Amino acid sequence: MKLREYEAKKIIREYGIPVPAGFLIRSADELSAHIADLGDKFVLKAQVDVGGRGKAGGILMADPATAVATAKELFNKKIKGLPVREILAEQRLEIQHEYYLSITVDRRSKQPLILFTEAGGVDIEITAKEHPEAIRTVIANPLMRDIPPFLLRELIGTAPKEIGTIISKLYRVFLEKDAVLAEINPLVTTPQGVFAADAKIIVDDNALGRQGFTVNRDLSEREREAEKHGFSYVELNGAIGVIGNGAGLTMSTLDLIEFYGGNAANFLDVGGGAESERVMNAVRLVARVPTVKVIVVNLLGGITKCDEVAKGIIAAGISQKVIVRLAGTNEAEGRAMLLEKGYEMLDTMDLVVRKAVEVAA
Amino acid sequence: MIYGDKNTGVLVQGATGKQGEFHIGLMNAYAKQVGGRGVVAGVTPGKGGKEVHGVPVYNTVKDAMRDHDIAASVIFVPAAAAADAIMEEANAGIQTIVAITEHIPVHDTMKAIAYARMEGCSVIGPNCPGLLSPGEVKMGIMPAGLFSRGNVGVISRSGTLTYEVVDELTRAGIGQSSVIGIGGDPVIGQTFVDVLERFEKDPQTKAVVLIGEVGGNLEEEGAKSTNLPIVSYIAGISAPPDKRMGHAGAIVEGGEGDARSKIARLRKHGVPVASRVSEIPEMVRDLFKGCC
Repeated sequence: MKLREYEAKKIIREYGIPVPAGFLIRSADELSAHIADLGDKFVLKAQVDVGGRGKAGGILMADPATAVATAKELFNKKIKGLPVREILAEQRLEIQHEYYLSITVDRRSKQPLILFTEAGGVDIEITAKEHPEAIRTVIANPLMRDIPPFLLRELIGTAPKEIGTIISKLYRVFLEKDAVLAEINPLVTTPQGVFAADAKIIVDDNALGRQGFTVNRDLSEREREAEKHGFSYVELNGAIGVIGNGAGLTMSTLDLIEFYGGNAANFLDVGGGAESERVMNAVRLVARVPTVKVIVVNLLGGITKCDEVAKGIIAAGISQKVIVRLAGTNEAEGRAMLLEKGYEMLDTMDLVVRKAVEVAA
Repeated sequence: MIYGDKNTGVLVQGATGKQGEFHIGLMNAYAKQVGGRGVVAGVTPGKGGKEVHGVPVYNTVKDAMRDHDIAASVIFVPAAAAADAIMEEANAGIQTIVAITEHIPVHDTMKAIAYARMEGCSVIGPNCPGLLSPGEVKMGIMPAGLFSRGNVGVISRSGTLTYEVVDELTRAGIGQSSVIGIGGDPVIGQTFVDVLERFEKDPQTKAVVLIGEVGGNLEEEGAKSTNLPIVSYIAGISAPPDKRMGHAGAIVEGGEGDARSKIARLRKHGVPVASRVSEIPEMVRDLFKGCC
């Protein structure tokens, strides 16, 4: 789950990384009380859960005279469709140089990867393509709590030594907050020292509980409801609802819909043990998606009980057509139950998907 | 065989839990069918002295190792304790550890895998279905009924999608040497490269089906690392960016790891990539026509 900028900055400040003076407001009126703390030039940053907010008009410059009006303007905006409920008001820094710093989980080495470049201030993906020599990376050992000094020296090169300390501190944040990304972009030098002008932290979804989060804000309402039932769920915008077991099989069902020229409405992985109630909940959830005209159920597994699945589909009692592919134990019983109620049951993935695409067209 | 055979003694951690108990039963039914040793001991802290399907349960891995010849293990313990279970087994000297557990925090996984590497042992998973070498050994939760013995190795990041592929292969009369699910998490122990290296050394394996999905680029790295003929399939053509598709590792991030670019890179490297699972058997046959 991605933390908002003010949350990420609060955390890194607690670990001793300097951030610009600032505070969070939830209405334009709240600005007046502390406005003196920010000096005569500052910046208002919309705290919305979406990337690229700067280009979308979510960051505005202000001074004491125009501040309240500018804040009102920002609160009335929508940034990539999202309402602005919180604004971070921050002192504007006198930037001399911009650096980029990030720590991620590296799939190849299976260890944390620290990336630093003195060529900051532009899109890191562009730097990586055009000036790969400007990017320095090191791999850290996850069994150590700190990065050894020699690795820090390799990383920072001729950049100010204070940056080495900041990297050490950010690494602690990365470890202790279960981050899958800890990024400072840009990390800036000013006459007053080095500051994290922006900060981004993404917390591992599998560690939200132990980090004290009760809700995953990255999920939509229906995605959250699905999570409560123990389903993995992603919403798309086609006409064919999909229920599968296992992430890979469900994804390949979606791909097959595309192959046959249809559009999937969603991805829903019911997970292991597809007993009747789970299946019923899954079918009902997908049937509520407004674009769904037909639902494909594709369940395979040696231990899936087909009669249980059939019971669940029938109990859901939805108005849309359901086309079923089932393979597992008690297959004959499941098939008989579904046929009796007029549901279509076909033998292969290709057959159910082709049929669904026909029905949806 | 790539990680074990009939003679491999297997330990199960989390033996007295619902999952552990259920799958000890299935693994030993398979062992009986093929004349293998199967699961010889279980471990659940505090439950030492019990039995599960006639398999003795111990309090610690070291206790179990004192009484039995054990080379591999399967872990069913809950996510919060799974990394510790991996490290306990690595420390006790088990060579191959299959971690079935899903939802382990990735920092725990990184530590456990680094620790296991230090102890010189291989971790398969986490968040995986394990492996099955038809006629030899089953370590994990794969449904044995779909498999048949032969010369094609299968490596996959998935569970049920792997069963689908195995089912298609078996129906087409193409048997498998070993089928392994390496796990759906971003950080996993054995990657495509590691498993392909084992397949290359395995005289039974003549060709490999490599089943990947969105996220990362380890499929391409694997395909480049081996001389074995490969047929590939990549799931997630229709996956939108920045959305986790069921598996923690199945996500297109920062414009990287999408299915189309993976497929393009594999094809550029000369690997045939199936557009549908049902095309795989025919493509495997074509491989055999060309090489063996």
